[in-house]
Amino acid sequence: MAKTVILKIKRQESPKAAARWEEFELTWKPGMNVISAMMEIAANPVTRDGKTTTPIAYDSNCLEEVCGSCAMLINGRARMACSALVDKLDQPIRVEPFSKFPIVRDLAVDRSVIFENLKAVKAWVPVDGTYDLGSGLRIYPTEQEEAYPISRCISCCCCMEACPQFNEDTGFVGAATIAQVRLFNQHPTGKALKHERLQALMGDGGIQECGFAQNCVQVCPKDIPLTKAIADTGREVIKQAIKDFFRG
Amino acid sequence: MASVASPVARGVPPIRAGQGHSFLLRRLHSLSGIIPIGAFLLEHFISNAFATNGPRAYADQVKFLTGLPFVPILETVGIYIPLLYHALYGFYIWFRGESNVSDYPWAGNFMYAAQRWTGGIAFIYIAWHTYTMRFSGIHLLTNSQAAFHKVQMELQSPWAGAFYVIGITAASWHFAYGIYLFCAKWGITVSETSRKWMGRVCLVLALTLITIGWVTMAAFFKPQWKNIPEKLPPEQSVERSVH
Repeated sequence: MAKTVILKIKRQESPKAAARWEEFELTWKPGMNVISAMMEIAANPVTRDGKTTTPIAYDSNCLEEVCGSCAMLINGRARMACSALVDKLDQPIRVEPFSKFPIVRDLAVDRSVIFENLKAVKAWVPVDGTYDLGSGLRIYPTEQEEAYPISRCISCCCCMEACPQFNEDTGFVGAATIAQVRLFNQHPTGKALKHERLQALMGDGGIQECGFAQNCVQVCPKDIPLTKAIADTGREVIKQAIKDFFRG
Repeated sequence: MASVASPVARGVPPIRAGQGHSFLLRRLHSLSGIIPIGAFLLEHFISNAFATNGPRAYADQVKFLTGLPFVPILETVGIYIPLLYHALYGFYIWFRGESNVSDYPWAGNFMYAAQRWTGGIAFIYIAWHTYTMRFSGIHLLTNSQAAFHKVQMELQSPWAGAFYVIGITAASWHFAYGIYLFCAKWGITVSETSRKWMGRVCLVLALTLITIGWVTMAAFFKPQWKNIPEKLPPEQSVERSVH
């Protein structure tokens, strides 16, 4: 008998429908990952007990861990499905949507909150204008080395899903956005908005909600030094708060 | 973007930039744990360790502390108010977090949960300890020489003794890891290396405080200081029994 792979997938028809589990058994193939397994289910959507079902809905795009789309809970942990190799997972492989984001359908969740957060902290370099602003300031290699790891963020939201402080009560902004503040505050042109970003992080749900459980840095698929970014930004936010109070 | 019409209608809300005072309140919580509460905890461990020098030395230390000027104000402003604030805001933080150690069983995450439990245990212990030592029984503010006797009597109950051991351990742990968290959140230990070292320093601090606490407790069970009366006998006879 051919080697098989068993997947237990949590499904939900619509945002308000009840969730249910479906089990699938697939023929093992070398190099299989969770996305490729779900592609096979889409080609033949039949559950383990022979019931015909619908293909599974999920977000995905690049399939090489750089787009950030296919983040989900695999065996209970937040990670990218495309880089979750079946051979390295305990079976049956439990696949669930993120638990802290509104479900659109099946494994597809609405992660707009991170974009709202990035907008709130102005995570960009302000270069828009009606005339030519000329060339930017020089960025030295040492600064570049600090910035590059943070710039790899793919907005997958794994850091937020795994964070015990990220929930509806706290409305915590999450590690990714704090790290982007760190990135753009370091940029010679991005610096122009430094105080606005730091002030935004003082609002409710800001950097103060961090409990330093350090799950973010562990789950980050891009190995971003998130705890370092939080500590660094934490200091800058306090300095900004003191400056705001004494200097106005 | 998937849902342009109403970006975040459900789920975790985005950051409320420019709104609320939680930044100030949370930072005050963090700071109050170091100063004055942490500073008081250290003073309290050191002062009580005078018991290891005998009933007379213990009484003298209590006399010194109770003889400080403005004691009621020092107690209220330096201890009661910050401690209550730190504890109540701490419970508020605890209940709003969603610990997930079973899904992410990693050291930092475990310590996150432990910080909440040790804080809760320490709070219950401190409430009981303050009631029994400060607000009931012999009034030590006006009767400092009865200090050794009072603690010794209390520790006669094995339940009280066990509660002391648990309370001392929880408070020491909470304080030591609190320093680690303070340094990380206020941006003192930014690098991975500095945080690793701070972790070690805090571990040593926790173990030191726990040891001091237990050794201090043991002093009340030493045979030469058995059944110390409420009123200490004339100075010489007690001093001699020390050596």
